[in-house]
Amino acid sequence: DSDIQKKIDHEIRMRDGACKLLAACSQRDQALEAAKSLQTCSTRIMAYMSELQRMKEAQVMQNVPRSDASPMDDRLPCKGKVAISDLRIPLMWKDTEYFKNKGELHRCAVFCLLQLGGEIFDTDMVIVDRTLTDICFDNTIVSEASPGFELRVELYSCCSEDDYSAGSTPRKLASKLSSSLGRSAGKKLRAAMEPGACSPVSNGGAAPLLLPVPSVGPKYHLLAHTTLWLSHVQDSFRTHDLTISGNPEECSYWLPLYGSMCCRLAAQPHCMTRQMMAGWLKVKQCGGDPKTWTKVYAVLKATSLSCYKRQEDVDANVEPALTIGINTTRIRASEKDPHGKGQNISISNRYGGEEVTHTLNTESREDTHSWMEAFWQHFYDMQWKQCCDDLMKIELPSPRKPAPVTPKQGSLYHEMIESSDDLSSTVSDILARRMQELELRSQLGTSPTWMSVFEENSPKSTGFPVRPCTSRLSGHSPHSPHRLPSRSPVSPHRCPQPGLLSSDASLTSDSDSHCSTSPCSHRHGWPEPSSSFSLLSSSPSRLRPRTLSLDAKLSTLRGRGYGGGGAFQCSCQPPSSSLLAPHPASSHSPLSQRSTQTTLSCSSSTSSSSSSNSEGSHSPESSEGGPFSRPSPARRSLRNLRARLDPRNWLQSQV
Amino acid sequence: MSFVPGQPVTAVVQRIEIQKLCQGENLILGFSIGGGIDQDPGQNPFSEDKSDKGIYVTRITPGGPAEVAGLRIGDKIMQVNGWDMTMVTHDQARKKLTKKREDVVRLLITRKSLEEAVKHSKGSHPRQ
Repeated sequence: DSDIQKKIDHEIRMRDGACKLLAACSQRDQALEAAKSLQTCSTRIMAYMSELQRMKEAQVMQNVPRSDASPMDDRLPCKGKVAISDLRIPLMWKDTEYFKNKGELHRCAVFCLLQLGGEIFDTDMVIVDRTLTDICFDNTIVSEASPGFELRVELYSCCSEDDYSAGSTPRKLASKLSSSLGRSAGKKLRAAMEPGACSPVSNGGAAPLLLPVPSVGPKYHLLAHTTLWLSHVQDSFRTHDLTISGNPEECSYWLPLYGSMCCRLAAQPHCMTRQMMAGWLKVKQCGGDPKTWTKVYAVLKATSLSCYKRQEDVDANVEPALTIGINTTRIRASEKDPHGKGQNISISNRYGGEEVTHTLNTESREDTHSWMEAFWQHFYDMQWKQCCDDLMKIELPSPRKPAPVTPKQGSLYHEMIESSDDLSSTVSDILARRMQELELRSQLGTSPTWMSVFEENSPKSTGFPVRPCTSRLSGHSPHSPHRLPSRSPVSPHRCPQPGLLSSDASLTSDSDSHCSTSPCSHRHGWPEPSSSFSLLSSSPSRLRPRTLSLDAKLSTLRGRGYGGGGAFQCSCQPPSSSLLAPHPASSHSPLSQRSTQTTLSCSSSTSSSSSSNSEGSHSPESSEGGPFSRPSPARRSLRNLRARLDPRNWLQSQV
Repeated sequence: MSFVPGQPVTAVVQRIEIQKLCQGENLILGFSIGGGIDQDPGQNPFSEDKSDKGIYVTRITPGGPAEVAGLRIGDKIMQVNGWDMTMVTHDQARKKLTKKREDVVRLLITRKSLEEAVKHSKGSHPRQ
């Protein structure tokens, strides 16, 4: 109880500090950060207050004698670590807005507050403007919770262009200004200038605590929210719906959200990571004669009972001699075994069609009792449902230096050039590992050549990176899959690789000419970083490129197979058009963005069948073959991968 | 069988209902598919129009549930259990066919011989 009170006091102090900072700071970034901490503190205070209220109520309830409470009610399922990471919220700009490159950039500052079990976590703040196609938060948030948890995600945003110092203008001038401005701007100003606005905070039924709200400075407003439960937990990305509040007319903080949020919500119940019970037992399989008792050291962990010959084997990572699954099991304690001492516990499992029973014998009654208790607790822990099938990985990303923020000139491609340095080495690492584990060297033959694309990636001393794909497929002859394995794809001075191009390219057909004539070659340097990204996204999803637009990702991913028969295949479709002009000219309607979500998030709930529309009239879908491998992690079976890399390239699946 | 963008696709279709066969852990239908909007349509040996990116039946397991139900090699699958198959990727099509919870798939398929049959029947009984 006093803990919570202390936390509340702490938050109130933080809040006061944030208010003072807000009043004192002059720079917009500082003001935004201070306002964010203000909002976070306020929310935390409210959360702690309601927690306090709940605890008081629970105390009152306990004093009332409970009728007929069975002892089983006291057993609770084990807690677990819940982690949410890689939050991404797509935006849906009107295409006219998205491609404007003049006019002022309406920017908003956004961040997320996540509430789990009475604790509030916040993400970093991100500035959003119309050049971004989605809002990405890089933070991973880990906390402990029980299986009935509710994770509430709230998105707050604030327009970052309002004149914050409205409060300091002399009143007469201010009123003149507000009346002479347009309706919406005037409204905002008048609201900002209201003196002494206070937000009433309820503290559990007592007199409402009035926390002073600064009248100047940016204010965050709730833009969207959603709640996640155990059923949303999965080991890969999922899309969830958002409830959006606010409308564009009245709110300066409004952003065109697409209406969903992608994230990875994983949970590790403690029963999967810790040993629940361990001890010496004697085991015999049912049907054996009484003399075949085997003495084993048994460990109950992760829905199975692993029996080892010796206790040291547990730590030595030796394979257990016997493993009995404990998930769909029937466990019974039988009566005293006439042959030996102690009691018997029999465990029956159904494997396929048959039932297998193991009998355990313990030394004493107390042991039997504790084992049965452990088993019962384990059954309760099964309330974690899908989390108990397999251990989900939860990783806290090591603090990496953030990609340098470049002054945006309305083009995201700048960011990609700068930030690809970090990624190229990791990509080649991953690729090298994958090569080994998939034994593809023999198949791909000249595979080192495309590996060397990445090895030769020294940082951009020349402004002219390697371009593995530069040609544009003409719409006329869609079927011209050509691989020229004999030609060495990478020439020493890192010229573009002519051997990889489709022969029926039009417009920017010749690779050389493309490179030299493209006016944007130096500025954009598109394919090289993007090729690393395309493969990046096929590798474990934690290395997803960070600040790129979905647009960019879509263009790189479409039609990029791993290459079959040796050469690195690629068909460049909309990206080539974008190379010619600073902004993609094809109409990227919101539909295309939606379809990219489905390709990027590994398991998507919205399967859009209109993904072909996004290509417009320019080029057909990856007609060069190179079956587009969706970026699911390396879990894809070897057989599938081989099929995809097969030179025939017209994929057939058996159903 | 190709389509004009913006115009509705019309085809003579046949309904085929296939009961999935349980083979160990998997439910199988007994045929293979090829095609998809992410595949190269020029390599489809069964399509008349080489720009048709639909899903075609490329192989039938003899005696399997698909053959029994009347599916033939070279059929183009238009719908699976109500889901459209004319504008899907290969993997999407495969997924719609291999849903574990469903043990029957109802397909709408089209083939050239169906069109011929209708044309012939029309020819012999001209509409008044």
